Amino acid sequence: MSRTTVDHSLFWNREISSKLSYDANAPIVKEAKIISLSDVNDPSNGPLNNPTNDLPQGSRLLAVGGSIDDFDVELLKREGANTIFVSHPLARDPLDRLLQEIPSIEWIHSRSAGMDFVASPTLTSFQGKVTNAKGLYSSTLAEYTMMACSYFAKDLPRLLKNKGFKNWEKYNVLELRGSTLGIVGYGDIGRAAARLAVAYGMKVIALRRRPVPDDLCSVVYGNDKESLNRLFAECDYILCAAPLTAETNGMIGKEQFDAAKSGAVFINVGRGPIVDEDALVEALKDGRLKGAGLDVFATEPLSKSSPLWELDNVLLSPHNMDQTATFTYESTSFFVEENLPRFVRGLPLLNPVDASAGY
Amino acid sequence: MRLTVFVMHKTRQSLRAAQRRLQSTTTATAPSYTWADPARRHYKFWNRETDVTGQYSYLIEISPESLQREARILALGSDEADAALHQGPLPLGASLLGVGNTVEELQQNVDKTSPNVLFVSPNCPHAANVLPQVLQAFPSIEWVHCRSAGIDFIESEELVQLYTQRLQSSKPLQITNAKGQFSSSLAEYALMACAYFAKNLPLLLEKQQQRSWHKYNVEELRHKTMGIVGYGDIGRAVAKLATVYGMRVVALRRHPFLSRDDPYCNVVYGRDQESLHQLMRESDYIVCSAPSTVETRGMVSAEAFQHMKPNAVFINLGRGPVIDETALQKALQAGRLKGAALDVFVEEPLSTDSPWWDTPHVLISPHNMDQTATFMHEATEFFLRENLPRFLCGEDLLNPVDPVLGY
Repeated sequence: MSRTTVDHSLFWNREISSKLSYDANAPIVKEAKIISLSDVNDPSNGPLNNPTNDLPQGSRLLAVGGSIDDFDVELLKREGANTIFVSHPLARDPLDRLLQEIPSIEWIHSRSAGMDFVASPTLTSFQGKVTNAKGLYSSTLAEYTMMACSYFAKDLPRLLKNKGFKNWEKYNVLELRGSTLGIVGYGDIGRAAARLAVAYGMKVIALRRRPVPDDLCSVVYGNDKESLNRLFAECDYILCAAPLTAETNGMIGKEQFDAAKSGAVFINVGRGPIVDEDALVEALKDGRLKGAGLDVFATEPLSKSSPLWELDNVLLSPHNMDQTATFTYESTSFFVEENLPRFVRGLPLLNPVDASAGY
Repeated sequence: MRLTVFVMHKTRQSLRAAQRRLQSTTTATAPSYTWADPARRHYKFWNRETDVTGQYSYLIEISPESLQREARILALGSDEADAALHQGPLPLGASLLGVGNTVEELQQNVDKTSPNVLFVSPNCPHAANVLPQVLQAFPSIEWVHCRSAGIDFIESEELVQLYTQRLQSSKPLQITNAKGQFSSSLAEYALMACAYFAKNLPLLLEKQQQRSWHKYNVEELRHKTMGIVGYGDIGRAVAKLATVYGMRVVALRRHPFLSRDDPYCNVVYGRDQESLHQLMRESDYIVCSAPSTVETRGMVSAEAFQHMKPNAVFINLGRGPVIDETALQKALQAGRLKGAALDVFVEEPLSTDSPWWDTPHVLISPHNMDQTATFMHEATEFFLRENLPRFLCGEDLLNPVDPVLGY
C-alpha cells in the first residue's frame, strides 16, 4: 500500500505553520453541510458544536450525535450532508453507516491524528477527501519523549526507590549527549522529537517508508525488516511514533528486542498494536530492554492483569501524554478556522490522509 | 551594598554605558573586575558550546620553542579519576612531583625541586584547612587548579588572606577550576525535572502503583517561563535547552551586561533583591544554579519564595546554602508549589531524619546528577589538555576564579 497520493505541502504543524493563510477573497463555491459525530458533552468540540461566533460563511451544522440512533439519516440524506467531523471514540460503526447511507458525503475530518479508531473497509474505499489533526499534538509528545529518555538515563526508578528507603546512595548517571535516538515512523511527532534530541547532542537515526534524507538525522533507513533490526542494534533510545496501519501492525516484536543494544530504552507514543506486547514484557523482564516509556497499548484501557503495571522499569501513562487542556479544543478550532473556509472555497484542504494507506 | 534595579534588555543599553554605571555603583573590590571585561571574558571560560561532543580543543602547541616554563605539579587529594595525571604522559615540560592529602605527605614526596602548580581534588579530606597550609609550606606554588567547579569546599578566611597578600606581591596566585565541565548533564536533569512535574509524574506513578488507568491533562513546557538564578555555564546550558523547548528564559547574574547578546535568554536581571523577586513572580519553573559564596548564601529566602507564582516548580542544582531550605519546605507543605527537585542540600549526605525524605512532590537526588562515570576523568583531562599547556606556554589560563567573590 503505497502512499503516493497525498501532497506533503499541505501538512500543517501547530508550532511552525502560518495560520489562516488561505485566500479569504476567493469566492465561496459550495456549502459545507456538517454532521458532527462527536460527544455532545465534550467541551473540546465546542468550536463546532456550540460556537460562540457563527461558523465560517457557507458552513452549516446539520446534526450532532455519538451513535447512529442520534441521527435522522433520511433527513441528512435529503439535506445533502457532505461533511463529517469525527471525534467520538466509538465512531467506527456510525461512520461506516453514514458513509454507506449518505452518498453525498465528500469530506471526513478527524479531530485526532490517528485514523485507526475509525478504520473500516468502507473508509478504505472512500473516494472523497479525508483530513486529520496531524501536526497538532507533536510538541508535547516530543517533550514527553525527552523526559522518558532522561527518566532512564538518570535512573529515576532507582532514585525514587532510594527516596522511599531514605537511602543517600550516590550512583553514576548517563548523559543523553552523545547517545543515539532511533525513530520508527518519522512523521510530525518523530521530527519534533528529533529537533529536541539534536539540541541535546544526540545522534538521530530515522526509519520511514520513503528514506528521504533529513537535516536532523544522521541516517535515514527504509522500513524493511533488516533496517528495523539494525536500528534496534544501533540505538540507545528507540521512539515508536508510527501510525497503526496494516503494515505497521505487529511490526515490533521478539526479533527486534533480541537485536536491541545493551541498555536500550523503548518509548511508544504511536499505537499499541504496532508492538507485540507479550514480547515487550519478556524483554523488559529479562533485561534485553533497560526500560520502556509507554503511552499507548494494544487494548486501552490497559487491563489490570497486564504485567506491565508492576514492572518498575516501565513508565506507564494512560494515553494522555498529548492530552492538554487545550489541544483537543484547538484541534476542533483547526477544523473550523482552517479547513472549513478552504472547503467552501474549493481550496486544497490541510492535512490530507490517504484513506487506503490508513494515515 | 545594594545595587539599584538593573534590568537589561538586550536591544537597548550600550555596553560601555552599562559598564560605567556598574563600576560607579559597586563597592570597590578592585582587581576582581578585570576579568569582567566582556571582550576578554568570552575567551576565558571553557564550555561545550565550542564542540557539542565536548572534545577538548588542544589550542596550544607545545614545542621546545613555545615552552616558557616548567610545570612542577603537586596533587592534593587523589582518586582513580586522576589516573591520566598519575600515569601520564604529561605534556612537555610538566612533571608530577608528589601526591598527598596533607602537608606532611606532600613534603615526604617532594625533593628539592620546588613545585609551582597545585592540582586539588574535592575528595581531599578537610581541604579548606589543608590548602592554606600547603600554600604556605610551598610558597613557590603560583597556580592552583581545582578539579571541581564549586570552590566552596576549599574556601576559607586564610585562603582569602593568602590570595590577597599574594596579589600585591610579584608572584600573584592564580586559581582556576572546572567551570563548564559538568553543565550538560545538569542541564538535562533540569529539563527532566521540569517535564517530570509538567506531565505530573507524581500522580502518574501513584496511579501506576494502583494499576489505575486514570487519564488526566498534562502541561506543556512550550511558552512557559523559566527563571535561572545564577546564569553561569550551567545556567546557560539549561537556557539553551529551554529555548529549544520554546520556553521564555529570564536570567539573573551579577553582571547582566555580560549576557546582553545572549540568544538563550530573553531578559537578564542583576543580583539585587527586587530583581530576584521579579524573576520569581514571572517564572513557572525556577532553576537555581548559583555557586555558594558570601553573597549568595541564603539568597533565595523566605521572602523570595513568597513572590513565587502559585504552582511554580523549583529546582536546585547549585548549592544547598543558596536557598532557605526551611522556607522551601514550608512553601511545599502549604501547597504553593507544584513540586521541587533538589540535587544539593545544606547538609550532605542527608541524614535519615531529614524532613526531605518524606516530603511529597519533591525529587531528591544525592548530589549525583552530574556524576557520570567519566566526569572527574574528563575534568582531569581538562587540566592536562587545556590549562596545563597554556601555563607551560605562558598563555592566559581558562576558568579563573576569585576566592574573594567565591566563584
